Amino acid sequence: MVDIIGGILKALQLIVTGDPTLYGIVYRSLLFSGVAIVLAALWGTPIAMLLSLREFRGKSLVKAFFNSLIGIPTVVLGLVLYLILSNGGPLGFLGLLYTPGAIILGEAILVTPILVSITYSAIEAVDPEIMNLAKTLGANESQASIAVLKEAINGVILSNIASFNRAVAELGVALLVGGNIAGLTDVLTTAISRYTARGELDLAIALGIILMVIVFLINAIVIMARKARWLLTIWRRSPSWIEPSP
Amino acid sequence: MAITAELKNVTKRYADKTVLENLNLQIQDGEILALLGPNGSGKTTILKILALIENPTGGELKIMGETVTAKNAEKMRLLTSLVFQKTTVFTTSVYNNVAYGLKIRKFPRELLDSEVKKALKLVKLDGFENRPARKLSGGEQQRVAIARALVLKTKLLLLDEPTANLDPSNAAVLEEVIATVNRELRTTIVMATHNMFQAKVLPNRIALINEGRITEIGAPPEVFSKLSKSLVSFAAMDNTYKGKAHASGEGTTIVEVGNGVQVEITGQHEGDVSIFVNPQDIIVSRSTVESSARNVFKGIVTEIADLGSLVRLRIDIGRLFTVQITKRSFDKMGFNLGAEVFIAFKASSVLVV
Amino acid sequence: MQTWQKLLVVAVLATAVVVAGTLVYFNYVAKRRLIISTTTSLYDTGLLDEIEKQYEATHPVDINIISAGTGIAIQHAQNGDADVILVHAPSQEKTFLEQGWGVNRKIIAYNFFTIVGPANDPAQIAGKTSSEALTDILTYGRNLADQSGSTKIWVSRGDNSGTHTKEQSLWKAAGYNYTEVSKEPWYASVGSGMGDTLNVANQKNAYTLSDIGTFLKFDKEGTISSVALLTEEKSLLNVYSVMAVNQTVPANQTLHDQINYVDAMEFIKYLVSPATQQFIEDFGKADYGQSLFVGAVQPLKNNAPQPIVQWIEDAAYFSGSECPSQYRNGYPELYS
Repeated sequence: MVDIIGGILKALQLIVTGDPTLYGIVYRSLLFSGVAIVLAALWGTPIAMLLSLREFRGKSLVKAFFNSLIGIPTVVLGLVLYLILSNGGPLGFLGLLYTPGAIILGEAILVTPILVSITYSAIEAVDPEIMNLAKTLGANESQASIAVLKEAINGVILSNIASFNRAVAELGVALLVGGNIAGLTDVLTTAISRYTARGELDLAIALGIILMVIVFLINAIVIMARKARWLLTIWRRSPSWIEPSP
Repeated sequence: MAITAELKNVTKRYADKTVLENLNLQIQDGEILALLGPNGSGKTTILKILALIENPTGGELKIMGETVTAKNAEKMRLLTSLVFQKTTVFTTSVYNNVAYGLKIRKFPRELLDSEVKKALKLVKLDGFENRPARKLSGGEQQRVAIARALVLKTKLLLLDEPTANLDPSNAAVLEEVIATVNRELRTTIVMATHNMFQAKVLPNRIALINEGRITEIGAPPEVFSKLSKSLVSFAAMDNTYKGKAHASGEGTTIVEVGNGVQVEITGQHEGDVSIFVNPQDIIVSRSTVESSARNVFKGIVTEIADLGSLVRLRIDIGRLFTVQITKRSFDKMGFNLGAEVFIAFKASSVLVV
Repeated sequence: MQTWQKLLVVAVLATAVVVAGTLVYFNYVAKRRLIISTTTSLYDTGLLDEIEKQYEATHPVDINIISAGTGIAIQHAQNGDADVILVHAPSQEKTFLEQGWGVNRKIIAYNFFTIVGPANDPAQIAGKTSSEALTDILTYGRNLADQSGSTKIWVSRGDNSGTHTKEQSLWKAAGYNYTEVSKEPWYASVGSGMGDTLNVANQKNAYTLSDIGTFLKFDKEGTISSVALLTEEKSLLNVYSVMAVNQTVPANQTLHDQINYVDAMEFIKYLVSPATQQFIEDFGKADYGQSLFVGAVQPLKNNAPQPIVQWIEDAAYFSGSECPSQYRNGYPELYS
């Protein structure tokens, strides 16, 4: 008989007592997915800018390509990456398989399509005159592009949250290229998988609850940060401290 | 006389049409030059080329004597600023909007505050620093845009129909700013307009633009005196009509502008004339009003445009008349498309161009 | 350079940093890694975690255990992704040696499979031999009122694991054609580990073949209500062996030193040492009241107890030995 209450109580107990195994797993989940988002943002933002600000042949094909990859099943990607990173595969010499690096790269690849799609939609929604406006005020190509990005910042932030959620909640990639090695490459999702398979459902439920809480928290924090950011911009730039208007 | 900017044989072609053809224009240092012409005549394109955000398809552009090439364009842009016809502001505070260009130019931090403050004072937006720019009214946003351009103190200031969508009080503020800036900072100003009154009062020179060509250029008095001879160019301007004038027998003149519409104007004129009626001088009512206005016509509302605090109506009385009324009046009168209305204006409100 | 170009450059650099960092760290800075690929039935009991802890305390090696199943373990070895495999499928192990993927096989432990099922035992298999039990289950399945396939009476691992291999051999021994049996409507195949399979069997009130270790663990956790129904017999013997991955696997030829052969052999020596063998036998006694595994090294040496040693040799010896000499590579002390 599965004891859900027992699971919740056990979860609280583990959290409160600072259980090192648990915190190790949480830390790894956040770290790997966090770095993955940074990489994906670095690759993806320039691609999104190209797709929204430039015209070139085959543009709609490229857009369709990214859109179709948004929902790629994580196990499929995990399998493909395993075959590539395996010692018997083309990139085996990098020795990446079963290391945190593999999970980071794999999740970065996984979320890039979402990040690119949402970002370029956000940029496209920006008033097309902004680019020209910035230029008339003296901006060069580069600075004008940044001005456009800033106008699209809400969309950019959204794309990063969505990407982080997908990364932290995915199983297939982390499992297949990370190997779910205890203490090294196990993350929340793969750990839940292991404990369930072992019949240690209390632990699995505990981890599941923590994972959901993390997802909610990240979203809440970012929304609050957006409000705080706006206030901060106004406050920082005032010649004498003035109450921000409602 | 020093030349701030020059267009030499400039042609601008888009995929399906030629907007400018072999255009030659010299802009003199310190002058206010007005570009006058109907919509689509190429005024905006000229301004965009001068602002270096459009490249001529053919011909040459020189700023401060130096030819503009792809290589130096970004640098040259720092010498000009353009205020767009359609107001655009960044989604941030008024302060950050106005300070944008200064920050690009790496203006010293400590001096930013006072410069922004001065610019806002000039456009009568004192204390607006922390307001979110997008939440301001249309007129206020336009003033932010002007302040944003002014604060840069560029050699060349370009304005595209700066008061087109402003109510009279905002427009007056702006016209005063333009005059002040030109007078005190010796800024060279090129402004596009299709407001006859503005064109008469502000600039040192006017250039008439029609279909991508400059048809006349010179000081306002001489250009306007030639105007009545070049009647064709202004057929498309709002509330400008050409017609045949003859004495009314009562000391005024009747001008027949077509379709049976007869406008009574002051003064003595005979023969072909062009007349203009300021949209803001026309009264609209639902029924005839007993008044001293000599010109009263019945017509149908054919177009309604919301300009924020103002509403622009087009009324067909046989010829199309453009009328501008405040939003409040509009709401109170409850005009809608197809409504039957009366327009009225004094004979003395009619300008003979 | 335009913004997007700058960003791309940074992106490439950042990726290179991650890759290089991982490369350098794991190949030069961190302790040497010994990658062990094993079956879920061994790993899920927690035995290997304990052994790992003890080994790492006394050896300068970082053991990484990948637990997925015998089929995958063998695949890992072929790809050069594992240094040691710990499995329990003698027939697959034989092929493994013959094809040159592994060397130095040692049988390290044994226990018994059992068929578990619902407490009320509808097919009445309790206490019977495995062949009789399977026949009863098959008959019961064929006589079910519901032949649509939504009622299942048998759940199979279906994943090429050691357990699955054993199951197939049992059906064959009972006189049935496995391929056909597995297609019948009462037969369910999950393609999962032992834990998942037990859960499914429990849920569906069906029977399944399980190693005693995993079953006892789940039984103790109280997550299933199935009971073990068969006693130990020859056909249900479950033999665990360890093999080092051969350095000559093709993956290792094109790459330098991808297989950690030296540490693999050290680990194998450790597993067969008397202390570890004792530890394996003691494992679980306190929690479950019985050993989950029995050390095989001593019994094979002493040729006792019978008939178990004979059963082991029949089930898991190849040409009269646990590792014929042509599949050995050094370390003669292992086979003296």
